Amino acid sequence: MNTVLSRANSLFAFSLSVMAALTFGCFITTAFKDRRVPVDIHVSRVMLKNVDDFTGPRERSDLGFITFDLSADIKPIFDWNVKQLFLYLSAEYATKSNALNQVVLWDKIVLRGEGTKLNLRDMKSKYFFFDDGNGLRANKNITLTLSWNVVPNAGILPLVMGSGHMSVPFPESYETTKSY
Amino acid sequence: MLFETGSLTRQIEYFFFFHLIIQHSKMLSIFNSIPTHMDYKGQKLAEQIFQGIILVSAVIGFVYGLIIEQFGWTVYIVLGGFAVSCLLTLPPWPMYRQNPLSWQPALPETTGETQHKPQENLKKKKHK
Repeated sequence: MNTVLSRANSLFAFSLSVMAALTFGCFITTAFKDRRVPVDIHVSRVMLKNVDDFTGPRERSDLGFITFDLSADIKPIFDWNVKQLFLYLSAEYATKSNALNQVVLWDKIVLRGEGTKLNLRDMKSKYFFFDDGNGLRANKNITLTLSWNVVPNAGILPLVMGSGHMSVPFPESYETTKSY
Repeated sequence: MLFETGSLTRQIEYFFFFHLIIQHSKMLSIFNSIPTHMDYKGQKLAEQIFQGIILVSAVIGFVYGLIIEQFGWTVYIVLGGFAVSCLLTLPPWPMYRQNPLSWQPALPETTGETQHKPQENLKKKKHK
């Protein structure tokens, strides 16, 4: 320790070790927090079409159009270890050919400090709601849920499902709009 | 806040910056002429001082960041503690030179030469 450089070296290494311990402490204080929030989803309009799906092997597939309302208060999720949230709305249903189908309809990135109260009305889906075949027509039960991925400053990225969902039946025939 | 976009990359940037400073100071010979030594008790004191300052600033920073819910402030406070302890312990202040070593007086040159020759013979015998 009798030159400036060796003193500076040990000082800097000590600071970095202390920083690593503080980052671990930041992770530990929020590792076991429950990140679920109640979510309210409402569907206002559903329409069904039967179109050519050029990405799939079959002749024509079902394409659904959903207009929905979304409201949730996501402020309790944010703390000092959360950088941003990745929200996504997914539809889940069962058909004759597949037991479980899950399709992401819409997503959003919410940074810390903005948009803590989600209140979206008459939103159209961002992505196409294609089915693998013709399973959407006259389907009794299609469940929409909002889930999110918590992106932290330090630690694990948990995938959390919101505690509120909405089930809608789809119309019996094509090109007809069903309102709720 | 700056540190929300990845405090680890910022730490790596600071490490490389510091490394560059050290390399440049080795190359410039003017830095060799500035006296930088401390005696042993002074080195121990300097080490205790910087460890204490950084630990205290880490505790303060952790508690403050937890209260205002921003990890960026924790990192800023620890960096502030690092800067203060750099200032206090890197230059050789007089408080680190309170216990200088007492060297023996230097021997005059003539007796030194006569002592060297029998030592050289001893060394040659050992090598065989």
